This record gives sequence, structure tokens and C-alpha cells, in this order.
Amino acid sequence: MDTVYTVISNFIALVPVTLAQSLILSFIVLGIMLPFRMLNFPDLTSEGAFPLGGCVCALSLAGGAPGWLAILAAMAAGFLAGSCTAFVHLRFRIHTLLAGILMMTMLYSINLRLMGKSNLSVYGTPTIFDGVPFAEPGFPVSKIVVAGLLGLAVYCLLNLYFRTERGTAMRAVGSNPDMAEAQGISIWAATIGGVGLAGAFSATSGALMVQSQGFADVNMGIGTLINGLAALMIGEAIVGKQTLRRQLAAPFVGAIVYYQLVSLCLAAGMPPTDLKLATGLFVLAMLALPTLKRARGPMPARETIRE
Amino acid sequence: MLEIRSARKVFYRGQPDEKIALNDLSLTLPTGNFAIVIGSNGAGKSSMLNAISGALMLDSGKILINGDDVTSMPVHKRASRVARVFQDPMKGTAASMTVAENMLLAELRGKKLGFSRGLNAKRLASYRERLSALNLGLENRLETRVELLSGGQRQSLSLIMATCDQPDLLLLDEHTAALDPRTADIVMQATVRAVEAFNLTTLMVTHNMQHAVDFGHSVVMLDAGRTRLEIIGAEKAEVTIPKLIGHFGLKTDRMLLAS
Repeated sequence: MDTVYTVISNFIALVPVTLAQSLILSFIVLGIMLPFRMLNFPDLTSEGAFPLGGCVCALSLAGGAPGWLAILAAMAAGFLAGSCTAFVHLRFRIHTLLAGILMMTMLYSINLRLMGKSNLSVYGTPTIFDGVPFAEPGFPVSKIVVAGLLGLAVYCLLNLYFRTERGTAMRAVGSNPDMAEAQGISIWAATIGGVGLAGAFSATSGALMVQSQGFADVNMGIGTLINGLAALMIGEAIVGKQTLRRQLAAPFVGAIVYYQLVSLCLAAGMPPTDLKLATGLFVLAMLALPTLKRARGPMPARETIRE
Repeated sequence: MLEIRSARKVFYRGQPDEKIALNDLSLTLPTGNFAIVIGSNGAGKSSMLNAISGALMLDSGKILINGDDVTSMPVHKRASRVARVFQDPMKGTAASMTVAENMLLAELRGKKLGFSRGLNAKRLASYRERLSALNLGLENRLETRVELLSGGQRQSLSLIMATCDQPDLLLLDEHTAALDPRTADIVMQATVRAVEAFNLTTLMVTHNMQHAVDFGHSVVMLDAGRTRLEIIGAEKAEVTIPKLIGHFGLKTDRMLLAS
């Protein structure tokens, strides 16, 4: 009974910190969901765009830029990375996954070049989390408020955007590229714009992370993709993906729930080194579920993934 | 008005399996004309439609729509002029999007897209009205995702989408071939209604000889990548299924002789 009590009290003590972290990382989950679900373009760039955003943000902060400007710079860099992946796929007809792997590998060197060393401390520089009234700087509450408000704003904007004429056209490219093209929609513009936007969100996540933890590291991206994918799967299992509103909410809900689950596992004594195996198995199970269901029922209409 | 001037397309050029898909094909379709395209498999019907829609770039030759040279335009640039209904009901609609969203995409075909709200009340009302003309109950399923509709409903929707903004040219690619006879009939009636109402310049590819006899102002028969026969005017009015099939027979005889 005592151990259960310790586990729960440990877990509860960590809830605010984990919540702040999950809200920051929800942007990378969004950056994974957008190409995957809206454009049918499974994209791995985020694993490179996340540290890229962190590096650009750290450099900007070190150069004296205010926190919000550092985030904007990171977004621009992330957009560039994402649109490069989309370009490589469109121009050279390279498989989306391979294009993402190429970009993420190259970004590792680029990140090292940018910083000139493997990590950069920006501890003590003013951050975007400083502006919250009644909250002590550095305390989770200010991070929760800032990242939460930012997430809410992005959610609302995306919800509006995907209902506009342009946003509907972008979704059509993901749903049926041939049909979209026949309706006069440029596949190039929609794909480059959409994957670029996703890269910008992944970079935002990295930038917020750097401002939250006070340093950037070229290795900060390792494992973010699989964590983000797991979070997305959980989010979709909870809120569903039948409507646009639900699909857009899934990354945020998923990130919050997933990182609390991880925190619970760690509090229960799971070795942190086993975390990746557990996450991988979980994602595998979620992806395998439809196939297992299909074995006992009629074949559902299959949607092909862009190659 | 559609003009195809000595269009030529060769697949696998210089390889053992070289295939001449379009062999100096020329065709003129006056504005408001409804032409039926027939021909055996491999005659170049699909290549011709693909070349007109822009999915297939020609090796040489020209394609003009209403006098404008569209030969080097990609598919999405031609979309404001050309609408197409495919044989496969899945191809012409976005499956994971709703009926209303698909209608919106069709309405915006070839237009400049903006940041205003796509589905406003006015548009929804007009979609409801257009879909009710089909008598399939689609007007009450605007929020249904298209993947949940039957093949016939999807094809009817494709047709409404293709004809809603009166394209310069309507391409129908065996669009009733994958449907059961009753649904095929509904879709065909809807096609004729739309084509007549808007006086659309239309090319319809079909293997159904009855359709070739019953509909259209002219019949074009393709063979080995070129037009073999054009039946127009009074002759078209008198054409019968045996006569049409006779022309296929001629071709088979020649192929026998050649082999």
C-alpha cells in the first residue's frame, strides 16, 4: 500500500511540470499530424525541425533577441525545412518517408553548423514565459499559461483556416490528389505550404523547449517523432478524427495525456531507458489495430498513402 | 470548341514494347456539340481524354480549347476550362471530405482561392437545390463523407460537380460503365439533362453501343491512335447498333490480315 501511495504522490508532484512540458511538445505533435492526416504525407522532418527550431531560437536569444522574435525566427527556419522536404518529394519523386529521412539527417549537420558546438546555454536570457503576471518566472504555471494560450490560438486559427476556400483545397490534396488537381488546385503549392507549416510548428515546439529548459542541444530531437506519433494516436483514440474539429484537437489532447502516462510509468519505477521500447510497442499496437479488426470483418475502404 | 491538331504520343519510345498511343490524331468538336467516342481497347480513347485534360503531355501536335492553345498547360491550369467524370467513382470525388465540401471544390474549380469561409449558408442552399435535381436524397446528406455513399451516388455527385459551373468542355470517360443498369440509367439521364440545359461541348467515351446510338450529335470512332470514322448529322440519326459493330468488325478483319 505504501508503494502505491509513493507512486501516486510522486506522480501528482510531477503533474504541473509534465503538463507544461506536454503543452510545449503538443506543437510537434501538431507538426506530425498536419502532413500525416491533412495531406496524406507521412513526414519525418519534425525530428530535425524540432532541434532546428531550438538552435535558431538559442542563437537568436544569445544574440539579444526577445523571446517572441526568437520563436518567429525558429518558425521561419522550420517552414524552410518542411518545404524543402516537400520539394524533394515533388520534384524528384522520392518517397515521402525517404525525403523526410534525408532532410532530418542533413538538418543534424546544419544544426551543428549553426551553433558551432553541440549545445548552447541561454540560461538567464529573457524568455516568452516571463511576461505572465502573478507567476514567478521559471515556475511551471507561467509555462502552462503561455504554451496553453499559444496552443489554443493555433488551434482556433487552424480551425478557421481549414474551413476557408484555401484550407478546403489543401485538404482535398490530401484526400484525392488527382481530383484536387482536376479542380484546379496546385498540388505543389498545397504540399509545400502544408508541410512547411508543419515544420514551422515542430520548430516552434523546439524553440519553446529551449526557452523552457534554458539550453539547446543538437540531440534534443532524438525520439521526438515516435513520442509525437504515440501522442497523436492516443489523441485520436480519445477525441476521434471524424470531424475537422476533433482531428485538430487530437494532437493537443494526445500530448497532454501521453506525457502524463509517461510520467506515471516513470513514477511507478519503469527504467527511463525502456521508455522508447514501450512507446514503440504502443505505436505499433495502435497502427496494427485496424488490421487485426479487419481479420474479423469486411475489408474497409483503403486509403493509399502518397508515395 | 475543341480542336486537336495532329496529336502524337508514343510510350516507351525506342524500346521493344514501343506503343503509339496517339498517331497524328486530329479532331474538331464545335461548341455545343455532344460527341460519342467509341473504339476497341487500346484505340487511344483514354490517351486522348488524358491529353485533353492535361494528364498526358503530347510529343507533338496542339490542343486548343475555344481557340486558346492549352497544349503545354498542366492539369490544374486547364481546370477552369475542362471538367471530367472518370469511370471509377472514387477518382472524381474526395472520399474523406463531405458532400458539401466536394461541391465547394467543384464550384471553385479554376478560380482564385481566398481566405473567406468556404461553406457559407448561401452556397449550402444552392448545393441543396442542385443535388435535389438528382432525386437521390443527396440534398439531405450534405454533411456526409463521400466515402459513405454508394458508387452510383458518388458518380452522380461527380457529374453534378463537373457540370455545375458550365465548363467549356466536359469529358465523360465511360462514366456509367462501373454502375448497375438502373443507376447507370439515372446517371445517363442526368448527364443528358445537364448537357442539354447548358448546351455543353461534350466528349463521351463509351463501350455501350446503345448509348452511342441514343445520345449525342456525332459518333467518333478511334482506331490505333487516330480517328477512323466520324458519323455526323443525318447519318448519325440513322445509325444502328449492327452498323456500329460492323465497323469494329472491319477493324478485326484487318487485324487478322495483318497478323
